[in-house]
Amino acid sequence: MPFPYRIAQRRFVAATATTVAAALLAAGCSSSPSGGSASSGVVHLSMLTGFTGPDEPSYQALIKEFNATHPDIQVTMTVEPWATVAQKLPASWATGQGPDLATPSSDPGSIFNYIKTNSVLDLSSAAGTGASKIDTAAFPSSVTSAFTVDGKLYAVPANLATLVLYYNKDMFAKAGISGPPTTEADFIADAKKLTLTSGGKTSQYGLSLADNQTIQMWPILQWMSGGDIIGKNNCAVINDQASVAALTQWSQLVMQNHVSPVGQTGADADTLFSSRKAAMEINGPWAADGYKSAGINLGIAEVPVGSAGPVTLGSTVPLMIEKSTPHPAQAEEFLAWYTGKTAQEKFSQVSGFPPSRTDITSAVSSNPVVAMFAKALPYARLYLAGQPNATQIDTDVYVPLIQKITRGANVQASADSAATQINQLTGCKSS
Amino acid sequence: MTTTEAPVAGPGRRPTAPGRRRRRPRFNSAYLFIAPSVILIAVFIAEPIAQSGWMSLHNWTIGEATHKFVGFANYTALFHDSRFWNALRVTVAYTVVVSVGQVLLGLAVAARLRKTTWYSALLRSAYFFPYIASLVVVGIIWKFLLDPQVGLVNAWLGDIGISAPDWLQSTTLALPTVIVIGIWKNVGFAMIVLLASMQQVPAFLYEAATLDGANAWQRFRYVTLPALRPALLFTSVIATITGLQLFDLVFAMTSGGPIFHTESVVMYLYEQGFVNFQMGYASAIAWVLFLIILVISAVQLRVARYRDAD
Repeated sequence: MPFPYRIAQRRFVAATATTVAAALLAAGCSSSPSGGSASSGVVHLSMLTGFTGPDEPSYQALIKEFNATHPDIQVTMTVEPWATVAQKLPASWATGQGPDLATPSSDPGSIFNYIKTNSVLDLSSAAGTGASKIDTAAFPSSVTSAFTVDGKLYAVPANLATLVLYYNKDMFAKAGISGPPTTEADFIADAKKLTLTSGGKTSQYGLSLADNQTIQMWPILQWMSGGDIIGKNNCAVINDQASVAALTQWSQLVMQNHVSPVGQTGADADTLFSSRKAAMEINGPWAADGYKSAGINLGIAEVPVGSAGPVTLGSTVPLMIEKSTPHPAQAEEFLAWYTGKTAQEKFSQVSGFPPSRTDITSAVSSNPVVAMFAKALPYARLYLAGQPNATQIDTDVYVPLIQKITRGANVQASADSAATQINQLTGCKSS
Repeated sequence: MTTTEAPVAGPGRRPTAPGRRRRRPRFNSAYLFIAPSVILIAVFIAEPIAQSGWMSLHNWTIGEATHKFVGFANYTALFHDSRFWNALRVTVAYTVVVSVGQVLLGLAVAARLRKTTWYSALLRSAYFFPYIASLVVVGIIWKFLLDPQVGLVNAWLGDIGISAPDWLQSTTLALPTVIVIGIWKNVGFAMIVLLASMQQVPAFLYEAATLDGANAWQRFRYVTLPALRPALLFTSVIATITGLQLFDLVFAMTSGGPIFHTESVVMYLYEQGFVNFQMGYASAIAWVLFLIILVISAVQLRVARYRDAD
């Protein structure tokens, strides 16, 4: 090989390798903030959500309308699974690299993590009356309360749902039951009657209950007869008389009467009902279309009323603004419009969810399904509302408690143990 | 025949004259070739490992501006954390049974399918296929198959008159069920490694053993097994390490339930880090797991007399 060629080859090799290394370093070190930007007077806002389900087009339609009516502010919604949002958002917001707006989790208690890290904008100054303000007085008080910490408003409801009783009309007719249960006593009687066995095995369940990876159904069963999980003084009441009585009653119905399978996830419970193996399920508005397309002769009714009066579980997804967004005024303007009457009426019509406001229920009365969910708004309660450690209380205490008692553990002892754990997590001082 | 060649100076390489000043060593361009890999390993492996060690000494919550130095408090808390010990017990039980099970079954299958025929080739593919499938996919498929309401397994058992249990919701059956799936998933890997090793054993060893009167079992015991020792060591070490990192399968099948009966150490780590945002505590769990894997792997290598085997 000629000598000059070797020199040239070495130089070429060295130059190539250096370039590759430099390119890799540059790629590793570069960053591309995803926050809002302004070009030619138009403010672009980014919004990250976890609405990957069939309700995503409803949110996109709302944003499309906002963009059409607000040419100076353009919002782009990105959708990723909730688990991905939960992993990405804390660090990206804490470092000022995140989206301008986001729904951090489907759990309203998740806002505490972001408040603690000083990552979210205080919306208090944007609250008020009028089209340009966030009208917190129009939200259900439980929602406003859940999103207000130390007197400051940190989030608005991206949606609001209540749980109702879905039932299979064909199964009810076959069992000779004329209509859905309206009282807790009827509920229990119907669940027993609709549970059928064949060859020693349950062939049809009266009720499809989930206890994990789901929006919780068990608290409703406790609330019905006066039980609860945490009392007003932040101390556990899950082991008081009413709670233990409710938990005992329903765990026995599951274990002894087999009215529901044990240990179902939310998806399992939905599958059971949509595959016609269960006659009733407590669920939210997102499930209705799936059940109808599965061919269920679907009935929807309010959750039966127990001794404690009408009650159901409300669910809301918090929508927040990043504290370091360069466009806080425009982001607040978007939230004011999003939670306004016009937008909420439209959203309710296209999504089947009840509106996030209590002052426009009459506007949705034309749709009987939406009206059913909206009707439950005044008495809906949020699960573990206002608890900074709500996620831990759910996954580490409440879910294991339900799983234990539906597998035969002593209810009082299990509830006592759960109460001790809850008190440690809430910081309850009283004995 | 043995030949010895005199060293020959290569082109461009001149002998150094006595007394002449030594030339400075020339820069070797080979370093530039390995630079990208070194940079990637440093940035994406070495630095995160060191960073996690540092984080484990802090009360480190994702997103918080400051992180209080707490020394070994996270490790102390871990030592008193009953849920960690439960996760460790689950992980060790899974690892021991799956490692032993997959190596023994892999050995049996490899011995049975040693001869290459169209039938054995088909079976080898069938055994190996689960190994190349994603753990999450395998977990989800088995979850459906074992579903007490709509699953095929219970339906078939019901057809032959057997009342099948709720495999993944039973506190006594959930972990054994996951273990069986783990063995089924990984047996193909052990089989293929051991099979390749078996086919390297010289045929004359078997001929000699046969001439010495050894029966089939004796040929396997005294010829095949010793020859497989490096492969057995390799498969058992890999099986142990992957077993101790158990996550995907339980995440897809049980999410650690019921009542934490299938929660592995890595699942607990994930929950602490990415659900509760306690990265300091999660890092402490990661380091304890790292040390456990290190010690167990070292013991395995020592017990198996790695040097001799190699």
